[in-house]
Amino acid sequence: MSNTSANILDIKNIEVRYDNVILALHDVSLKVPKGKVVALLGANGAGKSTTLKAVSTMLASERGKVTNGSIEYDGNAIDKQTPSQMVGLGMVQVLEGRRCFGHLTVEENIISGAYSRKLSKGDINQELEKIYAYFIRLKERRKSQAAFTSGGEQQMIAVARAMMAKPKMLLLDEPTMGLAPQLVAEIFNIVKELNTKEGVSILLAEQNTNVALKNSDYGYIIETGRVMLDGTAQSLLNDDKVKELYLGISKKGRKNFRDVLKEESLTKRSN
Amino acid sequence: MVDELLFFMEVLVGGLLAGTMYSLVALGFVLIFKASATFNFSQGAMVFFSVLAFCGFMQDFNIPFVLAFILAALLMVVVGLCTERLVLRPLMNASEDTVLMATIGLGYVLEGLAQAAWGVEVRRLDLGIGDFPVPWIADNLKLFISALDIFAGLVAALMIIGLFLLFKYTKIGLGLRAVADDAGAASSIGIPLKHIMLLVWSAAGVVALVAGCMWGARAGVQFALVDLALKALPVLIIGGFSSIPGAIVGGLIIGATEKVLEVYIGPFFGGAIEGWAPYVLAIFFLLYRPEGLFGEKIIRRV
Repeated sequence: MSNTSANILDIKNIEVRYDNVILALHDVSLKVPKGKVVALLGANGAGKSTTLKAVSTMLASERGKVTNGSIEYDGNAIDKQTPSQMVGLGMVQVLEGRRCFGHLTVEENIISGAYSRKLSKGDINQELEKIYAYFIRLKERRKSQAAFTSGGEQQMIAVARAMMAKPKMLLLDEPTMGLAPQLVAEIFNIVKELNTKEGVSILLAEQNTNVALKNSDYGYIIETGRVMLDGTAQSLLNDDKVKELYLGISKKGRKNFRDVLKEESLTKRSN
Repeated sequence: MVDELLFFMEVLVGGLLAGTMYSLVALGFVLIFKASATFNFSQGAMVFFSVLAFCGFMQDFNIPFVLAFILAALLMVVVGLCTERLVLRPLMNASEDTVLMATIGLGYVLEGLAQAAWGVEVRRLDLGIGDFPVPWIADNLKLFISALDIFAGLVAALMIIGLFLLFKYTKIGLGLRAVADDAGAASSIGIPLKHIMLLVWSAAGVVALVAGCMWGARAGVQFALVDLALKALPVLIIGGFSSIPGAIVGGLIIGATEKVLEVYIGPFFGGAIEGWAPYVLAIFFLLYRPEGLFGEKIIRRV
């Protein structure tokens, strides 16, 4: 059955439990239109990773289960698939924390992403060159052991590895975690490029609200396993609540760490 | 003086070659440790099971040598298949300790099945290579070295080269190394864990068969093979649990030191130190180099 709808991913009211008891997602619904970048925003423990793993079917390996609702990918329901079948269908997840194969070289890491495809040696080299065009840095380090590369390079390896599977859709779980601002920008530039040039649809979980929204088409904000707010990226960036809670900008002016400390010391002195 | 030196050489070479037999057993452990991150306690039972089946095919059914070997190897692939399906897959999310306990249970099942199918008496296995000194070497170098030892050394070398090529240059080898590093990440990019497990357990089964043939030809195919396989434990502690070259070098070190110690230091302890000397060596390694000589260092970026 071919997919005629405009959405590559359609999550309807899913509930997820771990170990049959712990309720991680109460009610999450979201859509990813074909060829778009959608940001999934929220604090630690809000349910971002759980949502992504429900989609990639990696939940089972952590004793998690979708106990209610439905997920449709490319027009077909996801329920009995294994992660490797999902990769075969063109859905690849880049796990939180990069998770490179430390003892393999950079190039071996990237090639391992093509495992699910039947490619000849020549095809693999051709694909590699295509990938290196996006990740120029990695080409220089192709022979290094992945564990000895920097955090930013490891994130690039993880994305490059996923791209070798020729995905229609990428699930990126906190790709900028712990990276310096220039690297955050570099990673997002690459993601944006992959989206526009390769036509990959992207669902992106991030805590880095500002940068994520600036590079997305649409955004969802989740808290304690529920979608609290959604809208176009532009409307979320201009939303007062989002500004206050996630971007650290209140109406009174910029609220930063120094202001908080100052307020605290003032209240202490008055006591 | 020259005689003494020759005698030492003989002990050393004999030990090294006997060590390759330990290496062969240790190889099976390494394969499974790489993929499952667990010590496979049933490896000894797999050695016993496979070689007893091999003897059974030849002696009870009069199947020719080569065909019987192929049948026994296929049987080990079936054992690998059943292990993946019945033991490993249901324990997919269980802790490594649980899998470890399961391998102990699997060992008992295999021991029982082997004896139920083929009986309990000691069988003789004739590989067509005698366990006696090679005349040519004895005449020219004045060293008494067993032909079986030399053969075992050659077989071990071939298996290592084969496995090295498999891991380094094939797609499934790359998949295995990826799973060994991070099984979760491997499955996220579409490497099917069950194929890798199946490959590894089958390969370990075939390695067990080869090791069983060597040991069986020397000591008879009997239940004691199960315990003998535990000699691989000090080999692995010295060589490193996840390293194929480590299994080889560890085996050589254990083989050589146990023979040399037995001959030169043994008399002070009233002999028979072969049985425990390797474990003493292993304790020193655990104290001063716990990852073993070739074990993958835990890489930690600072």
